[in-house]
Amino acid sequence: MAMRLPSAWVVTAFAACLGAAVGGGVATLEAASRPWRAGDFKVNVAQISGPSPQVDVPETQYAFGTVGVGATGSHEFVIRNTGVAALELTKGATSCTCTVSDFEETEGGSTATRVVPPGESTKLRVQWRGKGEGGSFRQQAGVLTNDPRRPQIAFVVEGTVVPTYRTVPAALTLPKHSSGNSVQATVRIFTFGSEPATVDSLTLSDEKTAQLFSLASAPLDAADLVEQAGATGGLLITVDIRPGLPLGPLRQTIKVVFRMPEEVAVEIPVEGSVTGDIAIAGKAWDSSNEVISLGSVSSRTGREAHLFLTAKGPHRKTVMPVVREVVPESLRVEIGEGKEVGSGAVIRFPILITIPSGSPPANHLCSPQAPAGKIVLETGHPDTPILTIPVCVTIDP
Amino acid sequence: MTSKGRFSRLAATACVLLLGGVGWCLAAQPATEALPTTKAQPATVQPAAVLPTDPAAKSSAAVPDRGPGVPDPLVQTFRDRNGSIFEGWKKPRALVVVTGELDGYIEPCGCTGKENQKGGLSRRQNFLRALAAADWPVVAVDVGGQVKRFGRQSEIKFQSIADGLRTMHYAAVGFGPGDLRLPAEELVAAVAPVGDQPTPFVSANVGLLGLDANITPRFRVVEAGGLRFGIVSVLGDTEARQVRNDAIEIVPAAQAVESAAAELKKAKCAHQILLSWATPEETQALAARFPQFDIVVTAGGADEPPAELPTLPGGARLVELGHKGMFAVVVAFFDDPQAPLRTQRVPLDARWGEAADMIRLLGTYQGQLESLGLTGLGLAAVRHPTGRRFAGSAACADCHQHAYTVWKDTPHATALATLEEQKPSRDGDPECLSCHVVGWAPQRFEPFEGGFSGIKSTPHLAHQGCENCHGPAAAHAAVERGDVRASVTERDRLRGEVTMTIATPEGKQRAINNCLGCHDLDNSPQFDFDTYWPQVEHGEKGK
Repeated sequence: MAMRLPSAWVVTAFAACLGAAVGGGVATLEAASRPWRAGDFKVNVAQISGPSPQVDVPETQYAFGTVGVGATGSHEFVIRNTGVAALELTKGATSCTCTVSDFEETEGGSTATRVVPPGESTKLRVQWRGKGEGGSFRQQAGVLTNDPRRPQIAFVVEGTVVPTYRTVPAALTLPKHSSGNSVQATVRIFTFGSEPATVDSLTLSDEKTAQLFSLASAPLDAADLVEQAGATGGLLITVDIRPGLPLGPLRQTIKVVFRMPEEVAVEIPVEGSVTGDIAIAGKAWDSSNEVISLGSVSSRTGREAHLFLTAKGPHRKTVMPVVREVVPESLRVEIGEGKEVGSGAVIRFPILITIPSGSPPANHLCSPQAPAGKIVLETGHPDTPILTIPVCVTIDP
Repeated sequence: MTSKGRFSRLAATACVLLLGGVGWCLAAQPATEALPTTKAQPATVQPAAVLPTDPAAKSSAAVPDRGPGVPDPLVQTFRDRNGSIFEGWKKPRALVVVTGELDGYIEPCGCTGKENQKGGLSRRQNFLRALAAADWPVVAVDVGGQVKRFGRQSEIKFQSIADGLRTMHYAAVGFGPGDLRLPAEELVAAVAPVGDQPTPFVSANVGLLGLDANITPRFRVVEAGGLRFGIVSVLGDTEARQVRNDAIEIVPAAQAVESAAAELKKAKCAHQILLSWATPEETQALAARFPQFDIVVTAGGADEPPAELPTLPGGARLVELGHKGMFAVVVAFFDDPQAPLRTQRVPLDARWGEAADMIRLLGTYQGQLESLGLTGLGLAAVRHPTGRRFAGSAACADCHQHAYTVWKDTPHATALATLEEQKPSRDGDPECLSCHVVGWAPQRFEPFEGGFSGIKSTPHLAHQGCENCHGPAAAHAAVERGDVRASVTERDRLRGEVTMTIATPEGKQRAINNCLGCHDLDNSPQFDFDTYWPQVEHGEKGK
């Protein structure tokens, strides 16, 4: 027997209804099971008795889109009195001097206060000026009212301030950079004008390390501009740093002078610290004094401290730390297996320091009378074959 | 009917069913993707720690709207200025307090009067204490971004802030990109557990010394008011690309959230919270992909958060925090079916008063800066762009008596004293010193060669003096005094180097740019040259 199948439209309509019912049902279930996601909740906070004003504001929020840095804009918010008594309005605080608010001027009236008779309305003018480095902008102007249901109203203006240019990142940071490593970094300068940017000069502030830096610039690809809304062009600054930076704080500044068409000078700090290839980390590591600080430990309870040794630089894979000496002798030091961190530019070794319970008293509190204890490691690193780590600890009976 | 036709009909049915089930199903199911190399560990639930409160601090106010002992008139002043707090609220079942983007503002800078500024750990602590005193069950979370700058001072500041957040019993704190520019070794020390208290720091996709080092957990589950909250924190992928720190492993945010979310699901949380240090757009994309989060916190919005929290398409609340830690945002859950959720933006203004323990912490921080000194903070003096040296303001007085007399009567002449008078004093803080002494780069917070290095070694360079605008004048003063012989041409050249004029547009713009080095948006938001100049005007011969 031949079975007659329903038409495609019938199936489609049935399926759509079923699907919508399922979806709607699930959504209803969702609203019932998670009511806090169902919408906004308003709570009446005041019971009104007697004639009173009633403030009515068609809008409290205005999105102005975009403005340039330094450009100004304004918007008027309407405030109505739909109550039966006079509505008294007082200008409240604005969130910043970027925004100022005034009531429309009336003969003999003040721009800071306003009385609105029943059935009438007034306007609040809010102005703003694009300041700062650009980006999201939101400010508010407050108004105090004598409507007991709504004693305060916040009028908000928001949008985006478009800068002349923006540098991403604003600074190059190289934390604990290994002197033996080379590094390449890029900085993008996005421009927001109508003319393409052309580079006049790329220079470095610190002559002492300048010979280790190479700088290059190129126009940004169109694909890169998507990241910054409103960007019309820009520059890609490439920085190559060769091995050999001196140990200590790294303070260099790249100065980029370009035209768009007005001349703009941008300073990009290169900051960080250049260190040896081996470092210690952990709660007990006092980096200011470069000691392991275990404090006062009771011999009765003992103590454990977990630390890490990190190795970086071109010789990191040769590092195999082995304990050669410890003071006080009761200290036990165990070094675990090395593991690569992330991309493998750093290898970490866990260190467990144990002061066993019952350890004999000792005083190594890092003072002239009680010199520091120490942990001496043989590292396997060609530049730092032996690493002596001071330990500040007292073991009390 | 051909089999092809039947197949088409069935396929249409299947497709429409799928479409009919629509958004909800699609949105509700987390997308699948390769798991991170190291998985999140199973959840352990811990009660949200409750801040200890002084019984005397129990508020008599109907709602916790002020710090202990703050009088009504002061509260009213700030209520008028910045809005009411918890007006008409009853005790919630539990509330989530969200903070973040402190940007290094461990306390307001005080430049325009601390009472005129919002933010700081001290007020934040008193706000949390007020909630605890009212017996409101709190889960405090922070999206991260404690510091923005790099260097030893930022490392010490991060450590101090981490200590403060521990004292405030934060349940979860994320990492911002500024935090992750610090050396991982320093971060490890700062975030480590103290005693029995676990680290408050949590991240699903950031691993200090590698994710498998497990220095911070991937997520956290806490209970407050009988409700279980699951918290996940991530650094957005765009921000992650800007972090150049080999000792920190960062995996894609969505991948990490998926892994952590699977564990949270098992923990049967009543509410899930996503702390996302990313742009609002990236955060919203994560929220759409993982609709199980009720509270989604983002970074990167405007300077101040919206008064009303936006509701995302799936129903989650999007929390923006503004910048510099000026606000906390509260999302509270109630048993009331008519109003199960309420939110409140809380300006951290002077109505919260000062918390003694945080003031002590700030004092310790300032003490550390002072004891390390400029050398210990890694602040080697840099060459002034002109290569010249400083003479001190008193050296100018012999010839420029009028200008010196005017200057002596301005706040510039007592700038360093204002730092000494702060509680705790800030005269050892390079971030403050740079605009309160002679011979520092104001926006780089570092001294120039021959600039102020301490009140004992360089007392003549105290305060905001002549040479910060006119440029270093040691050679000019030496020639004018006759200490050094110079030709008339050379003498005039040296005079020209320190001469300024605002009579030309270029000269005025140069002067304005110089002022803006210190009178910036952070420290002098009302600065306007034409308004401020008459207060310090000291021109000679119409210059």
